[in-house]
Amino acid sequence: MMECLEFRRAAGADPQHLSPDAERHRAGCDGCAQHHRQLLAMDAMIHKALNVPARDHSDAMRRTARREQRATPRPRWVALAASVAAGVLIGSVLWIGHPRDSLANDVIEHMRGEPDSLVVTQVPVDPANVVKVLAASGLRLRGDPGHVSYATTCPFHGATVPHLVVQTADGPVTVLVLRHIVVAEPRQFHEHGYAGTIAPFGPGSIAAIGATVEETADVAARLRIATEWVDD
Amino acid sequence: MNAPFAGKDGENRFAQLCDGLRPQLYRFAFWLARDRQVAEDVLQEAYLRAWRARASVDNESALKGWLLTIVRREHARTFERKRLPTVPVDDLIAADSPELAVAEQKDVMDMRRAIFALDEEYREPLVMQVLLGYSTDEIARELGLTQGAVLTRLFRARHRLRQQLGVGEQDLE
Repeated sequence: MMECLEFRRAAGADPQHLSPDAERHRAGCDGCAQHHRQLLAMDAMIHKALNVPARDHSDAMRRTARREQRATPRPRWVALAASVAAGVLIGSVLWIGHPRDSLANDVIEHMRGEPDSLVVTQVPVDPANVVKVLAASGLRLRGDPGHVSYATTCPFHGATVPHLVVQTADGPVTVLVLRHIVVAEPRQFHEHGYAGTIAPFGPGSIAAIGATVEETADVAARLRIATEWVDD
Repeated sequence: MNAPFAGKDGENRFAQLCDGLRPQLYRFAFWLARDRQVAEDVLQEAYLRAWRARASVDNESALKGWLLTIVRREHARTFERKRLPTVPVDDLIAADSPELAVAEQKDVMDMRRAIFALDEEYREPLVMQVLLGYSTDEIARELGLTQGAVLTRLFRARHRLRQQLGVGEQDLE
């Protein structure tokens, strides 16, 4: 039988969805029933408070689209290739069930929230940006990392990490440099329709996700060679 | 492959759905940033990224979660890029007084101030749960936490709000 303290912890975390045990406790305990009513009233007030006015931008995405089309006219084949490659990748993520490798799964989930990871493009990112992104994690670029089309820093597992996209013959390969995550040995995997490589790198590791294991291993190896840790 | 946002009709559908979700996403960005202009900037950049990769979404029902992830990511990057200074809560509230002042009731105003003052680790899951209707399991996946950690944060968020608002409560912690 659930006790009052346990009930109030559960109700305080999610007052709208009580478990069957919690429902039974509420039905038999006037004090907790009263407490629950207060929580529901407070949630209604929280909802009101959060519901700040949003300015009317009823055509925000259409305006974004027009700006984007004016700014970056792309050949149709690039857009088509991007659609096909990205669709295959995201579709795989959404359709397939639980992963076998949680780090690989987290990298894939991260990539899913980073749309530029999936775009096939011939346009390289500004090399100065690659240098800056790597430097933020204590890496210096000393060689050619390949055709980098995207470079940014991202939050991942509680740290800020470099996120690069390298274009290859097999499509885009996403690379995360995980300075704060140690892996014992290299491993390769196929999950959610992706292929990938996670390998030790400096104080942490490097993860590469793409269409084939070979390509991801090549990209990861190339980036290891093209960079060095400057603050070890 | 299902590609609901391919072609001209797909583009229109994508824009229509995104525009419909914009108020919710704006509010989410606002409560992350606690600043109207930053929220607008975050949303604009997030929409640009989403537009470029619209063909990667194979399911309309996945769109909201996908956009929310992009907004979260963009917000984190904005703060990192701009190195925004830490601002006292009272200053934030004063700066965003138009958002706060529209409350028609004093208790709603008080609640807004209390939510403003919550640490982000408590504020964010609370916004996802109460405003966006996410389950604790969905919040855990989005934030990369265990479900237990999410439940603890949500409990503490409400507990702190009650404390700030002076609502009587037995010691539950």
